[in-house]
Formats: sequence, C-alpha cells, structure tokens
Amino acid sequence: MADTLTSIRDIERELTSLRAEPGAETPFQRTSVMTHMAWVPPEWVEAAEDVLSGLAERHPSRTVVLLPQPEEDDGLDGYVEVDAYPVGEGRSICTETIRIRLKGKRASAPASVVQPLLLPDLPTFLRWRGLPPFGAPEFEGLIDVVDRLIVDSTEWPDLPESYRGLAQIFDRVVVSDIAWARTSRWRPMLASLWPDIAGVQRIRVTGTAAQAHLLAGWLRSRLKHTVELEHDPADRLHGVDIDGEPAPFPPGDPPSGADVLSEELDTFARDRIYEDAVRGTLQ
Amino acid sequence: MATAQENPLLEGLQLRRMPDPCILVIFGASGDLTKRKLFPALYSLAYRRLLPDNFSVVGIARTEETDDEFRQRMKEAVQQFGRDEFRDDVWESLADGVRYLAADFSDSKGLDRLVDVVNELDDERKTGGNRLYYLAIPPSAFETVVEAMGKRRKAEGWRRLIVEKPFGHDLESARHLNSVIEHHFEEREVFRIDHYLGKETVQNMLALRFANGIFEPIWNRQFVDHVQITVAESIGIESRASYYEQAGAIRDIFQNHMLQLLAITAMEPPIDFTADSVRNEKVKVLRAIHTPGPKSVVRGQYGRGYIEGEEVAGYREEEGVDPQSMTETYVAAKLYVDNWRWADTPFYVRMGKRLPRRETTIAIEFKRAPHPPFEELAAEGLQPNVLLVHVQPDEGVSLAIGAKVPGQGLTIRTVHMDFLYGGAFRTGLPEAYERLILDAMLGDATLFTRIDEVEEQWSLVDAIVAAWVRDRPAFPNYPAGTWGPPSADELLRRDGRSWRTH
Repeated sequence: MADTLTSIRDIERELTSLRAEPGAETPFQRTSVMTHMAWVPPEWVEAAEDVLSGLAERHPSRTVVLLPQPEEDDGLDGYVEVDAYPVGEGRSICTETIRIRLKGKRASAPASVVQPLLLPDLPTFLRWRGLPPFGAPEFEGLIDVVDRLIVDSTEWPDLPESYRGLAQIFDRVVVSDIAWARTSRWRPMLASLWPDIAGVQRIRVTGTAAQAHLLAGWLRSRLKHTVELEHDPADRLHGVDIDGEPAPFPPGDPPSGADVLSEELDTFARDRIYEDAVRGTLQ
Repeated sequence: MATAQENPLLEGLQLRRMPDPCILVIFGASGDLTKRKLFPALYSLAYRRLLPDNFSVVGIARTEETDDEFRQRMKEAVQQFGRDEFRDDVWESLADGVRYLAADFSDSKGLDRLVDVVNELDDERKTGGNRLYYLAIPPSAFETVVEAMGKRRKAEGWRRLIVEKPFGHDLESARHLNSVIEHHFEEREVFRIDHYLGKETVQNMLALRFANGIFEPIWNRQFVDHVQITVAESIGIESRASYYEQAGAIRDIFQNHMLQLLAITAMEPPIDFTADSVRNEKVKVLRAIHTPGPKSVVRGQYGRGYIEGEEVAGYREEEGVDPQSMTETYVAAKLYVDNWRWADTPFYVRMGKRLPRRETTIAIEFKRAPHPPFEELAAEGLQPNVLLVHVQPDEGVSLAIGAKVPGQGLTIRTVHMDFLYGGAFRTGLPEAYERLILDAMLGDATLFTRIDEVEEQWSLVDAIVAAWVRDRPAFPNYPAGTWGPPSADELLRRDGRSWRTH
C-alpha cells in the first residue's frame, strides 16, 4: 500500500501517477462505468473488503471506501490503489480504489470529501453498511450527492421499525436493498400461485427478519389487504408457508453476495414495488 | 400466464421471456459446427438457466454412434470449447434430453426413423410438438430434409427451421432453395443464420448509432469522407477445400457477413427493434448498392508466405485445391450506396484469407477539418477523425482525434480514445450462437436474414462474378501474410486514399 495521503489534492496526484504503469510508455486505460462509494464503520470492515474484492473487476469503477473514525483526532488519511486487469492483447484497464479514514470531525461532513473524487457524468452508488443514521448530517449529506443508495436491511436491528426512516427518503434518492434482491427468486414463484394466493391471510417465512418483513410487506401492498406474518429465523430464505401450506421451492441456487450487489449496480430506475413493500412492512 | 393487471404480484417482476419446451433437431450433428459452436452455446444457455424445461436435442448424421458416445463427445467438446466453467450438474441436465441417430437423411427410411425418435422424445419429455430444425448440412442435402420435415409436420406445436450459410450459390439457386422451403415453411418459420449478426459488437453498432445523439447527425455524406470495412482472417482454408473452391471469398464472406456489416453501418434508423422494421431498413440499403464496375473490384489469391513467422503454403498447394485454381481468396471493392444519405460516399470493403492478422473492423473516416490554423502542420496536414468499430478481436470502439503534444509550439498528434468492451463490461461476451439459438426458440427473427435480403445480396454477387468470367488474373497475386494484392492498394490510391494499416 502506498504512503498515507492527507489531502484530496494528494490523493488526486497519486491516482494520476499510479495510472502510468512503471516503465511502460502508455498509461493504463481507464474505462469506468460509475463511482462506487462505501460507508464502512469499523465493525463492517472485514465483510466489506470481501465483497469489494469480487466487485472491482466486474464493474470497472472508482471505488471510494469511507472509513469513519469519529473518536480519533481530526484528520484525513487516504490510501490509493490502482489495480490493472488485462483485456485483449497487451492492454490493461485499471480500477481505482481510494480508502479514506475520516477522523474526528471530518467524519461528519463526508460529502465534501468525496465530491471532488466523483467521476463526472457517471452514476454514483453509495453502499451503506449497517443501519444508516437517518437524519444525521453525514448520511443526509451523502445521499444528496449520490444517485443510488444501496443498503442491506438484513444488517439492521429492530425490524420492521427501522424501515420507517428509510421510507422517508424514497423521494430523495433511489434505494436498493440487498435483502429485497435476495427474495427475487421467491417472488415470481409466489406470483405463480395466483389466483390461489390472492386471499392469503397468514404467511410464515423461514429466513432473515428482513426477508420475512419485506415479503409480508410486498404481499400486503400488492394484494391491498392485511397479511399476518410469522417469522422463523434462519440465515437465509428456506421456505414460505401460505396459510399453513408450504409453497414450492423456487428453482436455482441463491446468488452470492458479490453477485447480488453486482446486479444492483446494473439497475438505475426507482423500484416502486420495493418502496411499497417497505411501507407495507409497517402496516 | 396472467398479466400484471390481473395478478398484482407480477407487477415490477422482471420476467425473462422463456422459450417454450422444444426439441432441437440438428442435421449434420457429427460436424465441426455442432462440436465447436452449437453444444458449447447450448451449455452456456443451460448454465444461465435460459433453456426451457425439458429442452431436448436430437442429433442426426451418418456417422455410427450411440447416444452415449455422442453425449460423451459433446461433453468433451463443451469442456474444450465452452466459455463457462464445466459443471457436471449443468451438463447432466442438458445431456438428459440428448439423443443421437445414425442415419442417412437423404433417404426417407432414415427420416422416418428420425420422426419416430423425435415423436417418442416429445411424448417422454412433454415438449408439446415444438421443433427447431437446424440444418448444418451441405445445400445439396437441404431439399430432401426440408421436404421430409415439411411433409411430416405434426398438428400441434410450432416448427422452425434454422438454415446455415451458404443459402444457395447464386440468385437462381437461392430462389430455388427458397421455393422448396416456402412450400413447407412460412417465412416467419425460417431463420437464416448469419452469425455475424449474433455478435455483440455488431449489435453495438446499432446502439452506438441510435442510442447516441452525437453520431447520427454526422453519419452521412456531408461529414463522412468514406467508410472502410475489413474482414481479415490469418488462417487459410483449413480442410474446407471442396467448399471453398466453389465459393471463394465472394460467396464465403462478401455475400453474407460483409454486406450485412455494410447494411448495418449504412441503414436508416428503424422505427423500432422488431424483426421487420430492422430488416426493412437493411434491405433498402442492399437495394441501393450500386453494382460496381470491373475496375472497382479487385480479386486476389494467396501464394506462399509467412504467418506468425511460419512458412505457409500457397492456396493452390493446399490439399484438395486445383493447382490451376482461379478461386479468389481475397476481394476488395469500392461500393456506393445510392441514396440521399450516402450518395458519392465510397464504402471500401476488403476481405481475405491469409492476411497478416485476424481482424473485423468498420472504420468511419470523417472529413478533415477545413483549415488548420497551426503552422507546424503545414507539411503533413491534419489527420482525419476516424471512428473505428472493432468487431473482433479486442471488441470495442475507438475514436482517433488530434491532440496537442505537450511542450512549446502547437504540434498535433493523433491519439485514440478507446472504449473496450471487455474493459467496461466484465461479464464476458456471449457467443453469437447462444443469442441466435435462443432468439430462434423465442421466434424472434430480428438478427436473421430475410429472403429479400438474401436475394439482394446474391444479385450483387452475380453481377460482380459475371464480369470475372471474361478475364483471368495472374494468380497467386499476394503472398500469405500480406494485406492483399497491389491492385487493392491502387483501388484506393486512385481516389487519393489508402487502406488503414492498423
């Protein structure tokens, strides 16, 4: 890893110099499709790195990882990495990863740190690990500069109550929820049970709390009547009972974490069905 | 399935269009195409769960082989040529529905047996009578098969016919072939493959032109100086002498791939992306191509030379080739598309075997800036902007622009702005055959050639070939590993232009 950089200007300069491959005449080519930002509090660092490593190669992008450390003395530590991937004969493209430790007060205005680093004219995605502090300045500032917020409500405590804050920001930023994406194999399968499923009164979901609440919210919002939820905790979605009858298992294997995030990064439009489902969880 | 209006749960679900269960019948299943392209494509489709439930394959060819031997050979082919990791469970799910029949499809007994096998499989796997016939056989065998399959039509389900190139060898034979097909199949049931249209980068030409506001306004005679299309292969004729001797470069590449690339480059925007809208526009371009005079077409044949440092034989020395052969392995032509958009804009096309490298590119060369205000340039002038579409390899698009060399004065140098497909989208490009087989199963003919296109293509080829009968060029006229005969360079030099060299 390169030396610690303490200002955005240093970071920019370092990026430029790293793009020129040592000893090569031509710099690496940069083909970017987006800026991918991640807000990673200390407890999420390990999990975040795992997903990021699979992602960079599939979505050539500038990745800005923000590591808030509000307890430290004020300051900013930047680390820049440029990874080259071979494409075609004798050519490489590069992806850039910028890690910035936001120390002390710097952690409360991250938008001003990342704005100079966003790639112009390309979409910006913000992956927020854990429950976002709805209403807090660091969160509010960031969602105003990004095109899409990606959360995984599986990581959240106090469901469905925590969805309340999320439902407030739908008009400000497009939201993707990895927990919702992980129900995507089940929803077509449940839809195929129409018309029998139209009058469902009660579902029992064996899976994460987020999946259980979102599926129930989805059914309530689409069918426009109450649906009682019984939740059987499990680390992944194993089964759904419709009024006591187990629904058939959908085909295929569940996708990996990087796969799910990768698919969300290809999506740009607002998902109204998801938004309705989130509101439905609170009914 | 109910619509989203009837079933609110379907709202917002992105449901992939899934083909109906069906049986793919491959005629000529022991050939290279089945091994190198079709089965690897089917495996990739199975890997991505894009094949319908109970999808089944029946291969038929003369080679004696059991079901198991055929499956084993195809398994090895997938392992060797497939683009995805090999997974036993995926292969097993595909292989379950694979049968092989060793029979002569030129006699009716063999075809009767085929019908029995297919019907049995249909009952067993509940494929509803849906059949996709894939003719990977020489044209001489087409008639019998088409007729036999037409007569043995089942009442239920759909039937579609995929026809590999060559579709005839001239206008008359193409029309004859079509009259046979037409007798038993409707045009919407016929899928004539030009696998170039299945390539992502060829389809990207449509995206580039019609999804970007900046190119279309300058995509015409006012701004484009000329267009160059190159389809170069470094390989020779491999073991296809008997076919190639009859076909030559003009029937092998020009009649289909080259003219399709030209049509996609020159066509007007279609009103939508349906099969007929796109093909209507392409056929207009093909109709508008002016028959080139003899001076505007150059033929070549390769002699001995070097490819990648290795000495290779001349065409006339290849196995199965007549030592006095007059078959061309290279064609270059200057074509004009006589319409409002392209009048007087030359389309220079060239294609050949044993050229220095494998490359398919479409280069749009724009007119030069009218007046360079930079004195340093006086000697060599400004280079024109070129928009280069790399169809293969290194799929992508690059734009050559003039930029200032850092330092004192104002020296301008041409630099490339590159978009590399593999750089922006790291998912791996699907093989053309995956897309085409799936489209045929879905009944979408957008990326297949319609009979009127084929006829226009052949009329142009017939007119060019008619002029060739009169003279005998001194073949071979270019050494293997070079960019064709000197007369091809002369063709452009006369117009004050030159072929792109890299």
